[in-house]
Amino acid sequence: MPDDQRVTLKVGFAEQLRDIEVQLPAGEPKPWDARSELKVVGKPHPRVEAPLKVSGAAKYTHDIVPPNALWAAVLRSPHPCAVVESIDVAPAQSQPGVSAVLALVKPGERVIFAGQDIAAVAAKTPEQAEAALRAIAVGYKTEPFVVDTAAAMQDGAPLVHRGKVTERSTEGDEPGAGGSAGQRGNIRTSPSMKKGDAHKGLRMAKVSHEATYTTQVHTHSALETHSIVVQWDGPKAATVWCSTQGIFSVRDEFAEVFELKPADVHVHTDFLGGGFGAKFGASAPGSRMGFIAGELARQAGAPVRLLLDRKEEHLCTGNRPDSRQHVKLGASVDGKLTAIHVVAHGSAGIGTGAGVGRNAFGIYSRCPNVLVESHDVFTHAGPGTAMRAPGHPQGAFALELAIDELAKKLKLDPLDLRLSHDEHPVRRHQFELGRKQFGWDAGRKQAAALRDKQARVRRGFGVAASIWGDFGRGKAVVATVSVLRDGSVEVKNGLQDIGGGITTVVAQVVAEVLQRPVEAVRVRLGDSELGPSVGSGGSVTTASVTPAVRAAAEGVKTQLTALAAKQLGRKPEEVTWSEGQARAGSKSIAWAELCKKIEGEAVVATGTRPETYGAYPVKFMGGNSYQIAGVQFAEVRVDTWTGVVAVERVLAVHDCGKVMNPLTARSQVQGGVILGTSYALTEQRVMDRVRGVMLNPNLETYKIAGARDVPRSIDVVFTPVDTGANNTGAIGIGEPSTIPTAAAIACAVHDALGVAVRDLPLTPDRVLAALGAVPTRGAG
Amino acid sequence: MSDRAGITRRGLFRGIGTAGLLAGCKPSERPPTTTEEHGDAAGPGAGEAALGPGPAPLAFTLNGEAKTVEVAPHVTLLAALREQLRFTGTKVVCDRGACGACTVLIDGVARNSCMTLAHDVAGAAVTTVEGLAPGGKLSVLQQAFIRHDALQCGFCTSGMLMSCQGLLERTRGQKLGREDVEAAIAGNLCRCGTYPNVVAAVLDAAGGSA
Repeated sequence: MPDDQRVTLKVGFAEQLRDIEVQLPAGEPKPWDARSELKVVGKPHPRVEAPLKVSGAAKYTHDIVPPNALWAAVLRSPHPCAVVESIDVAPAQSQPGVSAVLALVKPGERVIFAGQDIAAVAAKTPEQAEAALRAIAVGYKTEPFVVDTAAAMQDGAPLVHRGKVTERSTEGDEPGAGGSAGQRGNIRTSPSMKKGDAHKGLRMAKVSHEATYTTQVHTHSALETHSIVVQWDGPKAATVWCSTQGIFSVRDEFAEVFELKPADVHVHTDFLGGGFGAKFGASAPGSRMGFIAGELARQAGAPVRLLLDRKEEHLCTGNRPDSRQHVKLGASVDGKLTAIHVVAHGSAGIGTGAGVGRNAFGIYSRCPNVLVESHDVFTHAGPGTAMRAPGHPQGAFALELAIDELAKKLKLDPLDLRLSHDEHPVRRHQFELGRKQFGWDAGRKQAAALRDKQARVRRGFGVAASIWGDFGRGKAVVATVSVLRDGSVEVKNGLQDIGGGITTVVAQVVAEVLQRPVEAVRVRLGDSELGPSVGSGGSVTTASVTPAVRAAAEGVKTQLTALAAKQLGRKPEEVTWSEGQARAGSKSIAWAELCKKIEGEAVVATGTRPETYGAYPVKFMGGNSYQIAGVQFAEVRVDTWTGVVAVERVLAVHDCGKVMNPLTARSQVQGGVILGTSYALTEQRVMDRVRGVMLNPNLETYKIAGARDVPRSIDVVFTPVDTGANNTGAIGIGEPSTIPTAAAIACAVHDALGVAVRDLPLTPDRVLAALGAVPTRGAG
Repeated sequence: MSDRAGITRRGLFRGIGTAGLLAGCKPSERPPTTTEEHGDAAGPGAGEAALGPGPAPLAFTLNGEAKTVEVAPHVTLLAALREQLRFTGTKVVCDRGACGACTVLIDGVARNSCMTLAHDVAGAAVTTVEGLAPGGKLSVLQQAFIRHDALQCGFCTSGMLMSCQGLLERTRGQKLGREDVEAAIAGNLCRCGTYPNVVAAVLDAAGGSA
């Protein structure tokens, strides 16, 4: 085994490059850096799995039907809070087609949100399963409830939890977030983020701004609902198909629930129809799906399909919590921030995780005094869970709009105010780049002119920043690369492709190393028996997986180089590779010829990824990972007579380390912008305060942006950074790309109107209320 | 269309079915598909006799192939395709006409299959995503989707493709603008955010095939 090696890497971004020394673990390939000239990685390549998706051949969990499979259906509580007095599932057992029935609550148990599991059945058809549910008799004693966040904070509000609350965290959560610093009534305080003395900073301030900002509950609404199919292979082993972002989280939960060895639970996720943070584990955040499907299948002695419907998906599979953020900013007369103080309350329903992210704490780091205090407020509603950059879009909205309102008081350009407080060199570069490319200065003048004229249709320009960490995980992934005697190349890993395009990127990495065409690399993912891997959450996939894949490919290449040396009668160190040929001196051997000389069936190597070993130029929150930078600019058109906001343009400037595939990376950023636009303008879970149920658990009144609601143009610009983090230089982009969108749009609306709309979504009534054209409706 | 004059009230309602009555989100220049033209020859499903409550025979053309299946009258075309015929390319997302994921072509017109009773397609020609690439060769539209990266997770893709195919079929030879494509996919929701790439793909395919 060679010792650890010390190598020099060229890192940095744009013109700001420098050499750093990095200590690499034994066997680790020298990282691709700013000097590397790559031929396949970094070039646009269409998705390798796309032909399956455009022809309907891709199999999702919804499409899996084992022989004799039964349909499961779940009876859910109609009440937001009730004690179950009696439950009789026996009548369901004798209904036509029914094979198994399961009570999920016992008399005396309290249910605490409308949508909670009560009972389940498995039957031959969905109609029979539904009919059987109607035969189940449940007696409830209803109790007082509270579904409104502000009401739940009041003394004397009905208590959601009677004891200490256990936190549920998944791979979708931001590392380091979470924890508790005490609980009182329905309010559970999170550990605060603190720097300097914010109270003192506010007292010193000559100019200050103070306001309350609110955001709504946002549901993930992945198009494929949570779904699991279970087939028992004997009493102690099972095959599970699950629509999941984390194959191994499904395996582990299922094994734990049924007391199996993890290795005896075989999980498949060939394709999944979106996740956005809600799909980890065998169960949904608010429904014990893994247990239900597994137990029904065990009792029935037949495979069971449990596919939630759209209503269930809204009620019990997680959501982005709402927030009510009281923001105080202080500044000197010349525009130096003296304090940022955020007091945030938000409700993840019966769950935890309503914190507002690192935006206020981490971005405008020249402000010496910062205090961010977050609180979870429990309500009788389905649990929240990680959703694409948990906490951050809501935190960005309040912070960035407050910064804009302060800039107005200071008579400063809000972009200048940001630039003078942000120390991240990449983000500063992005702000400057965007300012030029977006036409910021001219745009702001145009907006001001329309405001001054009191024009009916206004324009507005806004900007906001993103902060996230490179959470790429070490020692979590084992990838296997094989080269067969027929010259074919295969790479295997137990990873799921959520739609970000990792399948293609994996093929590109192997193609780069082995100098094979991308199409010649067969990528096998989506199966727990293909080697350990990570969940697709926290923007970790590409950063965690590609280095292990590269290490495996390099391992194979080393073996092939030795084989070539033998064939060419040279030493391995004399062999070079070009255009898929091994050369030594004047002699060469082509790929196909070389592979025929492989002894046995194949040359095989596995690869792992060590811990992150570099974080140039800025570390995230004092840790050892790079702080991912991004900024987005938005231009809106607001009709001041109707209150309708339309987003004309978004310019998204992001870094994601070394861009592996610009085609799919661009799509992912575009998708983040569209999700953020939808959050900004239309999406909102509406709860009935009288009955305690969700009023719009569907897709016609829960409004997701359609093709005509998205920005007229979305420009994506990458500012590649070599951080020296891992051997491919990849870091994530999924979450950063949606963090600043709603904030930038809200800032643009502020610019258009001259007054801020402080509540998301930015609906016409709120715009008109901000203009004083209609009375204000209470927010949240 | 000339045959409209001969429609009876009963025939009209039977012909339009739930698809016609509820497919307001799928604007089309063609009148609602009726079973008048094919119905009489299509077996009991299109005849005057009442159906149900048990399964009744249904004959229609699926992706160019004649199919006869026993389907209960309450079963939607979507459920029949996925659960009985195992054509799972067509997806269930909302199951109530709000998202377009289940879009198929019925006699060339894009329809929500979740809002269409299976027996309403008696005698009609149904095309699903599996029918876009006869013989396994991807169509110009499918290739354009791949080239423009008009898909991410892929779950809306089948419905998107069928809405776009419907657009291409009814506008064959015409020059298309962005608004035409956006109108055609206005009823198709995508959660990954592929809309701009879908528009680009369709415009490319329309230009390429015109």
